[in-house]
Amino acid sequence: MTDSSIKTSQAANDESLRDQLRALLKDGLETEVEPRAYTHEQVLDIVARLQQLEESNLEEKLKTAGFTLTPYRHEDDEQACETCMYYQLHRKFCELPELMLPAEPQWSCRLWRI
Amino acid sequence: MANLLWLQGGACSGNTMSFLNAEEPSACDLVTDFGINVLWHPSLGMELGDNLQQMLKDCISGSIKLDIFVFEGTVVNAPNGTGEWNRFAGRPMKEWVRELSNVADIVVAIGDCATWGGIPATAPNPSDSEGLQFLKRDHGGFLGKDFKAKIGLPVINIPGCPAHPDWVTQILVAVATGHAGDLAIDEFQRPKTFFQSFTQTGCTRNMHFAYKVSATEFGQRRGCLFYDLGCRGPMTHSPCNRILWNRQSSKTRAGMPCLGCTEPEFPFFDLAPGTVFKTQTVMGVPKDLPAGVDKKGYIKLTAAAKTAAPAWAEEDIFTV
Ligand code: SF4
Ligand code: SF4
Repeated sequence: MTDSSIKTSQAANDESLRDQLRALLKDGLETEVEPRAYTHEQVLDIVARLQQLEESNLEEKLKTAGFTLTPYRHEDDEQACETCMYYQLHRKFCELPELMLPAEPQWSCRLWRI
Repeated sequence: MANLLWLQGGACSGNTMSFLNAEEPSACDLVTDFGINVLWHPSLGMELGDNLQQMLKDCISGSIKLDIFVFEGTVVNAPNGTGEWNRFAGRPMKEWVRELSNVADIVVAIGDCATWGGIPATAPNPSDSEGLQFLKRDHGGFLGKDFKAKIGLPVINIPGCPAHPDWVTQILVAVATGHAGDLAIDEFQRPKTFFQSFTQTGCTRNMHFAYKVSATEFGQRRGCLFYDLGCRGPMTHSPCNRILWNRQSSKTRAGMPCLGCTEPEFPFFDLAPGTVFKTQTVMGVPKDLPAGVDKKGYIKLTAAAKTAAPAWAEEDIFTV
């Protein structure tokens, strides 16, 4: 397989998974948007919970990480995936080892960090 | 010919090991090419017992001229200020340090322990350790903030855990050849020639720093270590990416975050669990920002750079 065919099939997989995630969130899945992971302990706690989950348990991953379809706002700041240091903008993918999920740039979760 | 005496206080000998690995110039070059006469050094000294004690006394009395006094390791004050936990040649080391510093033309502190206390002085500092002229950021230390060696200079600090071998030998050559007065030093008495630029200066990951692409694992070739793995390269003063280690590489080039070991606060956060190799954040923003950047500026810069990053920055461009 060439690099470009690997990328094409990866993009197709990502797209279908992203559609599933979007559908879950649009259908009103309630996620733990707050409290945000603003302290080191909170981050560790959420990450530990994510580590307990089966890789395929998308619903629980979304809930635990507190996903939203729009950026979370805090004072003047906008916490969108696209500015998060775990986000790959071109692949539209969250590289946080405990998530590893395709996400839209305007989505957000409470593990956001810049 | 310049007489040099090197003693060790509360230390692991790491700076001695480093010094013996020097290449430009080497420890031998100091003797053969630059006229340094090593009176005694813990790993090289020939004298033992009474002979060594006599040599130290002769330095203090002036019958042997002491040009350069090098100290590695902390000054240990425990227990109760006596210094008895670190005895050397028949008395507490701190007493030798005081008297030798008073007669030496130049005093050089090598490594974090001797400069500001380093790891031994980390809270709760059980050995009551301090550096020669600093305790962490506080000016003073064992010799006091007003101390000046005989030629009028304060202690010259060469920090690092350990200091790079060539920083040590190059500064020793400068002072032995009469150029000590030409050394510009910073507020922490570090020679600016080595400690004005940042660890980040010359790091091969700079483009990933610029485009805000993060490494998430040690040794990963792609990505910068600042965002997740606690790299202190943007706020640490050292030439680690200009004067390479073993003339080959550096921590950050090899995928290991800079620990900030040339700064007085090292080890940072008193080594509290979860603080080593992990970027500390407050509300999602790094607690310690690149030198000179404020929080608002950092957020704006990062958001803009992240969204402008080219696709290649997200890929591993280093193919084997
Ligand atoms: S960690 Fe960052 S990139 Fe990943 S989902 Fe959360 S906000 Fe988005
Ligand atoms: S790895 Fe460290 S030194 Fe290198 S660019 Fe990133 S923050 Fe700077």
